[in-house]
Amino acid sequence: MLGGEIVSEVVMQISNLTKVFPLRDSKKGFTAVDAISIDLHKGEVLGVVGESGSGKSTLARCAFGITEPTEGSTTILGESLIGKSRKSTRALRANLGFVFQDPAGSINPRMSVHNAIAEPLMLAGMDSASIDKRVNFLMDRVGLATSQLSRKSHELSGGQCQRVAIARALATNPKIVLLDEPTSSLDLSVQAQILNLLEELRRDFDLTYFLISHNLDVVSHLSDRVAVMKDGVFVEVGTTRQVIDLPKHPFTRELIRVYSGGHADAPIHFDLDTWQDGPMNRWAFQNVSTFLPTQIIHPSAKPLTLDVAIDAQLEAITIDVAGSRYLLPELLADLDTDAMVVVRNNTIVYEKYSNEMTADSVHLLQSVSKSILGALFAIMADKGVVDINKAIAFYLPELNGSVYEKATIAQALDMTVAINFSEDYLDPQSEMTRLDRAAGWRTNTTGQDLGLRSFLKTLTASGEHGKAYQYCSANTDVLAWLISEVTQRSYQDLLTQYLWQPMGAHDDATVIVDGEGLSVGNGGISCTTRDLARFGLLMVNGGRANGQQVVPAAWVEATFDGASADVESADYLQALHPGGSYKNKWWITAGSSREIFGVGIYGQYVWVDPTSKTVIAKFSSLPIPVDGLHSRKHMALFRAICAQ
Amino acid sequence: MSTVLRVSNLEVDFVINDGVMNSPLRGVNFEIKAGKTLGIVGETGCGKTLTATAIMGLLPSSAVQRGQIEFADHGVISNQQMAAIRGSEITMIFQNPQSAFNPIFTIGAQLTMVAQRRGIADIATVLTARLESVGLRDPQRVLESYPHELSGGMLQRCMIAMALLSSPKLLIADEPTTALDATIGDQVLQLIASLQKREGFAMLFISHDVTAVAKTSDEIAVIYAGRVVEIGPTADVMDSPQHPYTRGLLGAIPSADKARGTLVAIPGNVPSVLTHVKGCAFADRCSLRIDTCDQEPPIVRIGNQSVACWVVKS
Repeated sequence: MLGGEIVSEVVMQISNLTKVFPLRDSKKGFTAVDAISIDLHKGEVLGVVGESGSGKSTLARCAFGITEPTEGSTTILGESLIGKSRKSTRALRANLGFVFQDPAGSINPRMSVHNAIAEPLMLAGMDSASIDKRVNFLMDRVGLATSQLSRKSHELSGGQCQRVAIARALATNPKIVLLDEPTSSLDLSVQAQILNLLEELRRDFDLTYFLISHNLDVVSHLSDRVAVMKDGVFVEVGTTRQVIDLPKHPFTRELIRVYSGGHADAPIHFDLDTWQDGPMNRWAFQNVSTFLPTQIIHPSAKPLTLDVAIDAQLEAITIDVAGSRYLLPELLADLDTDAMVVVRNNTIVYEKYSNEMTADSVHLLQSVSKSILGALFAIMADKGVVDINKAIAFYLPELNGSVYEKATIAQALDMTVAINFSEDYLDPQSEMTRLDRAAGWRTNTTGQDLGLRSFLKTLTASGEHGKAYQYCSANTDVLAWLISEVTQRSYQDLLTQYLWQPMGAHDDATVIVDGEGLSVGNGGISCTTRDLARFGLLMVNGGRANGQQVVPAAWVEATFDGASADVESADYLQALHPGGSYKNKWWITAGSSREIFGVGIYGQYVWVDPTSKTVIAKFSSLPIPVDGLHSRKHMALFRAICAQ
Repeated sequence: MSTVLRVSNLEVDFVINDGVMNSPLRGVNFEIKAGKTLGIVGETGCGKTLTATAIMGLLPSSAVQRGQIEFADHGVISNQQMAAIRGSEITMIFQNPQSAFNPIFTIGAQLTMVAQRRGIADIATVLTARLESVGLRDPQRVLESYPHELSGGMLQRCMIAMALLSSPKLLIADEPTTALDATIGDQVLQLIASLQKREGFAMLFISHDVTAVAKTSDEIAVIYAGRVVEIGPTADVMDSPQHPYTRGLLGAIPSADKARGTLVAIPGNVPSVLTHVKGCAFADRCSLRIDTCDQEPPIVRIGNQSVACWVVKS
């Protein structure tokens, strides 16, 4: 049986039930219910949840013999209901009861409560004394006073009406009751009364319920098993606990998120101004598209295959850093790791997910996104679309008068633009937080910086470009804007066509866009851990993937060579990587293995070691954006893995 | 932060049946600050929509309205003054987008009429930008469409776009997601929240759906039979409801985690608007009822919450 563990007798067997409605302009018609099979067991509640148009009511109507199905069959207590005359199945149908959404509409307004309940008994041929007795019994069981027997439906409240409808449904002592949105037109406090009543009656009369509702709360509360219906099929069936606790289908997850007052595991008080900080970021980095606008970067039809041969020894390595010795799992936990994939010689040798992350989930790259932009520019320059030695304002004349009037694309790629820009992530007055506000990453009530474009125009030069390294996120956003403008295509489309598909990405990636739909190049991409590793592999493999040159080889080699020694470096960079530099949107370690890496705040990394042919993709949710200790621990971790 | 709307002692009577007064609103007090959302939650017939109608100055002539409405920098505002700013400084979105639009005009024609009335220049550009801001990817197609050609979710986005054309200080959203599927309704809620973050308007969010209100609001007012029985910050009201009605309402929400048959079912029904209520309107359904409950309950302050009840103690 699908999903459940109920072993009692089968009272209703639904096999391959299909209902196709004819359409005027289509020969095929509309398939409302598509080959559904399921068994109902004695005493259970099967709940079908779905949205309007999912086919749940049509399924119920076919299953209960109200509508003739196009194909398939229903068997009740071993006897088939389909394809027989109504007369011949009358006795069989007495086993079925019906409760519908609109109680006032399902009771004849001219009938008294007594007659409404008595009608099915009269049809069954019961004598009037027995009928009166039975009606009084049912009134008592559904919690109505016999003084109300002479009333008509319009004199009753919605809840009382539904009680009458339930009494009527139970009149002939049915075994199986269809509950079609039984509480959807009732107020919350009355809904609770009716749900409690339905449960009490089920227990006392050993009823089996076929419950359908759009309301996941109602379905999950009342049901033993839940079937989630979408577009005419069950996308998921299981015990209520399985479906609620371990939903498998994305639609089920979405329903659970909606009904749980936010994401199933979203922090209760989500705040746009603090989502990047721990512990909120643990959820937020994996769910950016639920609270910020994003666009999709599409994967390849023929993804690059990564073989898997897990190296068990990696789990046992120790790492000495900052005066302590860590086992690998300890250091990963210490670094708030959400995911890590290690690829050596094109084979996955280590793969670990935590904090709800899976191989299928995406995670925000933060500034690792910059390295992806760098690769796109290498491709675009190679195709002659842009000349990276031209000033940015050559392509974006709106930026004349700003810092980008003179600064070139190459200088923005290498972070040698001399700009008045504070990259302080925690100072609310810094240009970096202004950038966040402009991009929609923080609340913006200033009335200024509405959108990245207007913000970028305000930035000014602080000296001569190309002389000194100065990390500035805005330099990447301006390039994402530039390449869209030059090609008249969206950034996500360019990435899809020139990078994500050629490199053999397996899954959708997303990129955050600002209020005007412009991609946030500096840090807005989210992707799966394996796809980030595939991106890193391009660098190890000289820019090639799937036997094709994706990124120009010369550009890859120039990146490994690093920045010219003439460029003045920064103290913090030299402290961490003596002799290191920044080139083409990558960090160059100048280490003995010639490693390069992309890094994003709160611990996002792609680490590329060309000597051991190792790529490490790592996502984290550190509590603070940057600090030296976390950086040193990461370097030690990566080097220990590559040395293995 | 500045207060956009302050409602004090709002009461509404209807003259019906030759002079017999009936009081569907019997004391509504709250305020909303700029950029914040107050959620009004209550069951059918409690006076949620009537509160909005009274604020907008749209009550029928058979209604008698008392109490004060202060709005932004206008101070106490009369119905005549309200008429001047209604639709510009205060706008509203409704439950059923299908019936809120005229079926015989395109969306573009209807939005254009509103934009002209608001004196907006360069209407075509503004409308396109507005529709994009509410997440409609193809504004041109939407503008050329008739209401029946769009889905409920798209129409609701159009209604939001229309309501925000004049950059209002206050948006009243009356059951904006009730007619939509849950997942679509959630998208609309997220959209409204992000627009509010960006544009800073205050919002009065009205719904019978406690979950939707809790998701959207900074503060919750629970209304019962025409009176606010409990008001406070959302987290406080949801985590520790004080009024017996609020507790009942939250206990009545079904979930997989509650054993079947054990939901808190408040006995009886919401009193009809035709009933003349004396004292606490909830007393008849309340398990904590005491003798004094037949008199008008005092407002008790418990933490950040205000509760109209004789029984709960601060």
